[in-house]
Amino acid sequence: MLDSRPEVIARDSWVDVNKGTVDRRIFSDLAIYQQELKRIFARGWNFICHETQIAEPGRFFQSYIGEDQVIAVRDRSNTVQVLLNSCPHRGNTVCRSDQGKTRSFFCSYHGWNFDLDGKLVGVPGYEDYYREKLKKEDLGLAKAARVQSYKGFVFASLDPQAPDLEDYLGWVGMVGLNLIAEIGDMEVIDGIQKNRIQCNWKLAVDNLYDWYHPKVSHGSAVRAGMINEQGLQYMNQMVMLGEYGHGIGGAAITEENLAKLSDTLEKGQEPDQIDKAKVWRTTEKAANAMGPLGIRCGGHPNIFPNLWVSAAGPPQLCLRIPRGPFETELWWFTFAKKDQTPEERRATVMIANHIFGPSGLLEQDDGENWSHSTRGSVGAVTGERPIDFSMGLGQDKMTHDSESGQSCIETVVNEHAQLWLYRSWEEWMKAEDWPALIKNHSLPPTGKV
Amino acid sequence: MAKLQTMDTQSRMLLHFEVEQFLYQEAKILDERRFDEWLSLLTEDIHYWMPIRRTTTLAQVEDEFTKIGAMALFDDDINFLRMRVAKMASGNAWSEDPPSRTRHFVSNIQIVDIEEDGDIVVETNIHLYRTRLESVEDSWIGRRKDWLRRDGDNLKLARRHIFLEQTTILSQNLSNFF
Ligand code: FES
Ligand SMILES: [Fe+2]
Repeated sequence: MLDSRPEVIARDSWVDVNKGTVDRRIFSDLAIYQQELKRIFARGWNFICHETQIAEPGRFFQSYIGEDQVIAVRDRSNTVQVLLNSCPHRGNTVCRSDQGKTRSFFCSYHGWNFDLDGKLVGVPGYEDYYREKLKKEDLGLAKAARVQSYKGFVFASLDPQAPDLEDYLGWVGMVGLNLIAEIGDMEVIDGIQKNRIQCNWKLAVDNLYDWYHPKVSHGSAVRAGMINEQGLQYMNQMVMLGEYGHGIGGAAITEENLAKLSDTLEKGQEPDQIDKAKVWRTTEKAANAMGPLGIRCGGHPNIFPNLWVSAAGPPQLCLRIPRGPFETELWWFTFAKKDQTPEERRATVMIANHIFGPSGLLEQDDGENWSHSTRGSVGAVTGERPIDFSMGLGQDKMTHDSESGQSCIETVVNEHAQLWLYRSWEEWMKAEDWPALIKNHSLPPTGKV
Repeated sequence: MAKLQTMDTQSRMLLHFEVEQFLYQEAKILDERRFDEWLSLLTEDIHYWMPIRRTTTLAQVEDEFTKIGAMALFDDDINFLRMRVAKMASGNAWSEDPPSRTRHFVSNIQIVDIEEDGDIVVETNIHLYRTRLESVEDSWIGRRKDWLRRDGDNLKLARRHIFLEQTTILSQNLSNFF
C-alpha cells in the first residue's frame, strides 16, 4: 500500500478550515508521513514515561519519538536521561528490553559499553586495535536535545530549538496533565497495554475528541451493561483549543455541580459515587493549577501530537505511536494514587482493564473503524475525496476569561477540536523550523467559531 | 502433587482422556460461537486472566509478566465474561459483526497437579487463529494453565491463566475468547 505522490506533498493546503474538510491523502501518502516524523515528532515535545516508572538510578523504560527509539533512564546522579537507542559504532540497539534495571548499556555487537548518562565508557580493543585513536568523548549515545518534566510526566524533544515544555503545553496542555497530577501523589500501575491497529495515527488521535461516535461505535457496551448511555454522550460539551495543536473535547462539569460538591464536603457529608471522583477539584491548589475553566473540564485532552489524557474514568494516558502511514501502536499507561487502599486499587484496575486496551469492552470496537477510514484514503478516486469535520462549524462561540487567559466553547457534540488538530498539523508541516512555527502558528480563535 | 503421583497409570489415563475431551469440546463450542453454552462450562468463581508480557533480560525474566492485581489484558470474573457474551449478542458489537472466523487448537495437554480441594490443574499449548472480513489475519499462540473442577458428572473451568507469546499485541483487538 505504500504510496507517495509528489503533487500531494506540494499541495497548497490539505485542510479547508472554512468548509471543515480534510484532504484524505494525508493519511496514506508516504512523503507526508516521512515529513511528519521530522517536522512533528522529532520537533515536538513527546511524552516518554512517568518518573515513577524509573524511580531509582539504573531503572529504564524504552519508548519512541515517532520512529526514533529512545531509552528513558535515571542516571547515577538521579537525572532522567533520554538517549537514542542506537550505538554510534554500527547503529545497533544497545537496549533490547522494554523496561528493567541496568548498570550500563552494553552493545551486543562489538561490546561498546555506555554509562547511564550515555557516555562511552568501554571499547574492546581500544589499545590493540584502535591504538588509542578513538574519540570516545564524541561517541556516546546521542541525547534527546531537550528533556523536561512537568509534575512527573517526562517529555523529550529531538529539536534543540524547541521552547520550554511549559510554554509548549500552555494552559490546555497543563490542564490535561493536571487532570491526573492534581488527583494526588500518582504512580503508574505496572503493565503498559500495547497493541497495533492498521490505521494512520492521526485518525486515532482525532477520535479521542469524538463524542459523536460512542453511541454508535460502543452501543454494544451499553447493551451489555458495561457503561450507561449517558456516559457515552454528554450533551454539555466543553472544548478548549491551545496553541500548537493541543485541544480538549468532551464533557463539561457545571459550576453548580462543583459548588454543590463543595457544600456537601463542608457539611461533612459523603458525596455520591460519581462526585467522589471530583473531590480533588474542590481544593484551592487544583483550582489554581487548572484555572477557572479548566477545573470544569471532564473530558479528553490531547497534547499535540499524540498523547491522549483519558481522565473521564480511571486516569490514563494513551500514546498513539506511528508505525508507518498505515499502522499505529496504542500504549496505555494507567495511574493511581500511591496511597490507594487495596480495594481502591482493585477498583481502578478493574475499570481500566475493561474499558480500554485491546480487550476493553469499548475499545475493541474502535480499531476497525479507524483502519477502514485509513484504507479509504488509498484509492485513486476515493483518496481524492475530502472528509468532513464541519459539525458545529460557524455555530458556536468562544468565551474568554480575561483574568486567567483561558477560553472555551460550551456547546453540544461538535468537531471543533478535530478541525483544530488538522489545522495545527498543517502549520507544523509547513513550518521549516521552530522559529517559523512560532511565528506562523495560529492562535486559538476568538468570538464566533 | 501427592494425589496425582499415587494414582495408577490407568486412572491417570482415564482422567487425561476426560480432560482432553472437555478441552476439545470447549474449543469447538467457542469456534461455533455457542457462547451461552460456553458460559455454562464455567464455575461462578472463575478468574479468567491474561497478564501483559514484556521483553526483559534473562536476569529479570521474573518481571516478564504482570502479576495478578496489576494491569492485564483479561482480568474477568463471571460477570465480566457474561458481559462480553451479552455484548456479542447485542446486535451492534461491530468488532464481532460480521463475525470473526476462529479456530482453536489445543495441544500438549498435561495434568500437572490435583490440588487439595480436588481442582485438576492442566497445562496446554493453545493456538487461536482468526480471520476477519477480507484480509484481517491474526494468530495468537500461548500457554494456558487451567483449573478444572468436578461438578457432578461433568468438569467445569474454575480458573484460566493465558500467557501469550506476543508482548505488543499485533492485532487491532482481542475480541475473542482464548
Ligand atoms: S555496533 Fe555497537 S559496538 Fe559495534
Ligand atoms: Fe471509541
